[in-house]
Amino acid sequence: MSGIGAHASRNRGAGLEFAQYRAYEPGDEVRQVDWKLYARSERLFVREAERESPLTLWIVVDASASMAQGDAARPGWSRLEASKLLAVGLAELALAGADRFGWIVPGERGIVAAPADGRRQRDRLRLDFAAVVATGTFAVTDLGLLYERIGTHDLVVVLSDLFDDAVVAMMLRLAAARRDVSAIQILTAEERDFAFAGGHHFVDPETGSEVVGDGPAMRAEFVRDFEAARKALSARLAAGGVRLATHFLDEAADAPLRALFGSTLR
Amino acid sequence: MTPLLLFPAALGAVVTLALPLAIHLSRRSELRRIDFAALRWLSARPRPRTRLRFDERLLLAVRLLLLALIALWLARPAVEGATDETPWVAVVPGASNAVVPPGAHGVWLAPGFPSLDRPAPGGPIAVSSLLRQLDAELPRGVRLTVVVPPEITADAERLHLSRAVVWRIVGGFMSSRRPTAAPPNGLIIRYAGGREDAARYVRLAAAAWQAPGHAPDIDIAPASQPLPQTNWPLVWLVPESVPAALLDRVQHGDTILLDVAATTDIAMDTAWADAVGKPLVMSAALGRGRILRLQRRLGSRAMPELLEPDFAARLASLLAQPSPAPSRVAARNVAPTADGPAYTPPAQDLRPWLALLIAAVFFVERLLASGRRVRATA
Repeated sequence: MSGIGAHASRNRGAGLEFAQYRAYEPGDEVRQVDWKLYARSERLFVREAERESPLTLWIVVDASASMAQGDAARPGWSRLEASKLLAVGLAELALAGADRFGWIVPGERGIVAAPADGRRQRDRLRLDFAAVVATGTFAVTDLGLLYERIGTHDLVVVLSDLFDDAVVAMMLRLAAARRDVSAIQILTAEERDFAFAGGHHFVDPETGSEVVGDGPAMRAEFVRDFEAARKALSARLAAGGVRLATHFLDEAADAPLRALFGSTLR
Repeated sequence: MTPLLLFPAALGAVVTLALPLAIHLSRRSELRRIDFAALRWLSARPRPRTRLRFDERLLLAVRLLLLALIALWLARPAVEGATDETPWVAVVPGASNAVVPPGAHGVWLAPGFPSLDRPAPGGPIAVSSLLRQLDAELPRGVRLTVVVPPEITADAERLHLSRAVVWRIVGGFMSSRRPTAAPPNGLIIRYAGGREDAARYVRLAAAAWQAPGHAPDIDIAPASQPLPQTNWPLVWLVPESVPAALLDRVQHGDTILLDVAATTDIAMDTAWADAVGKPLVMSAALGRGRILRLQRRLGSRAMPELLEPDFAARLASLLAQPSPAPSRVAARNVAPTADGPAYTPPAQDLRPWLALLIAAVFFVERLLASGRRVRATA
């Protein structure tokens, strides 16, 4: 993986790779006019090539309370911690491609960092994310800000558990507005295996609602339902043009990055 | 052998068995709270499986055992009719050639019934009382042999025991206090003003008790002088109310002779009367001592008995400790009869052994409770 930046740009201009002809407009450089075509057609066309240009990457991190959840097998390693690691990985990828990157952490004390490139930007990201704690719910109010900041064709990577429908809706709307949206769904191993023995008091950290139950008795049904929900979400996102990778907390963190950017963005 | 409980109501303490059960149960039913964001896909089971389950069953069992044993201990378990048919031989201290046949318990007839291997116990021996005690304590059917010297100290009542006793009279001599009435070996005299003559009479009488040439042990002084710390009798010739300190002395064993005019509210009996029966000295027991009071002024006119030749001896006998009543009887005359009431032999108390067991179980419980435990992480 050489980085996110080594990719085709949609900005057209002077360059080697031909993109299209377009009619001459006053102000175009004369040397850009294709004279051979003029000789054939007696009309002035300007030859446009695709320009290799830096791309802007937006890292959107969900810092709602559910992101604080982790596995009992590895205390302290929460979804949010994994998100921070993934964000740093994304930043390194952007750095390698000389791409600009910014980040957004929606929430009451949300963070919006304007895109920039360079190592200082990466260090700023690490500094910013060190202070992020998972609390509250996914704040929908600053979505307008999101649309404002994120330009067309910008690359957006959302790091979230995607349990909140507001996140999914936001991604679908961004994708519909011609942003290149990817999501990394971060799940715990307990959500995948439901390896709870004995009675438990399950509490939703965001709504506070509770479910009391015996782990083994609930396992089969939950695993089935959860799998179905994931499939449905995956289909919904695919239909909306959002790419999805899943990261489980007990797995290697580079796998989702590889899945999203490893093969396609060379 | 019949096991029985002397205080069965204490078995109610077994309700405390519910305590460790509750402790070990409640730990299990405690639900762990856990954050779980994917709650939406979690269908609530009405309740977790609440089978009765206990943690750390071994510890629970030991705790239950401990409480059960304590309840049993409170109920005072005993064993009745643990019959040991070994014959007993009780020897009165002082009896000579006490031969104990092999296979018999040989004890001294003394408080606590010490073994014959120990030296003969000293001190006063109440033969009748000890025999009755031994008879009551021994299980029915145990043969009892009593070895006595020809003369023993006993009360006048012939012994009525529940069993036929072999009454073996051997040689020897049972030591006892001889009835003696020695005059007091000293005298304290305290007198008030105007009683000097009376004090002189008493001093002269006391001097007559002493052997010739021996300095009389008489402490004579006015009443203001302090009293010496002796147990000599005190003659208190002060026509006033008796001080509490003096009565306290009497309570502790002293003998005191009060003046005729001394006032006290103690009821007294006549101790010495004159020829026509009028009291000269009255006395009463007070605590361990005695209190006496003159009924006349000490003077030849008021009390002509002063001039009698036996006045000194009279005074000595009044102030001396009363001699003990004669209590020595010929052993053959007080051989016990077997027509006394039979007693239910006392049940053997099992509590000391149970206490040992409880201590051992408690030790095991502490060991289990404080040791490193393997806790299954739920």
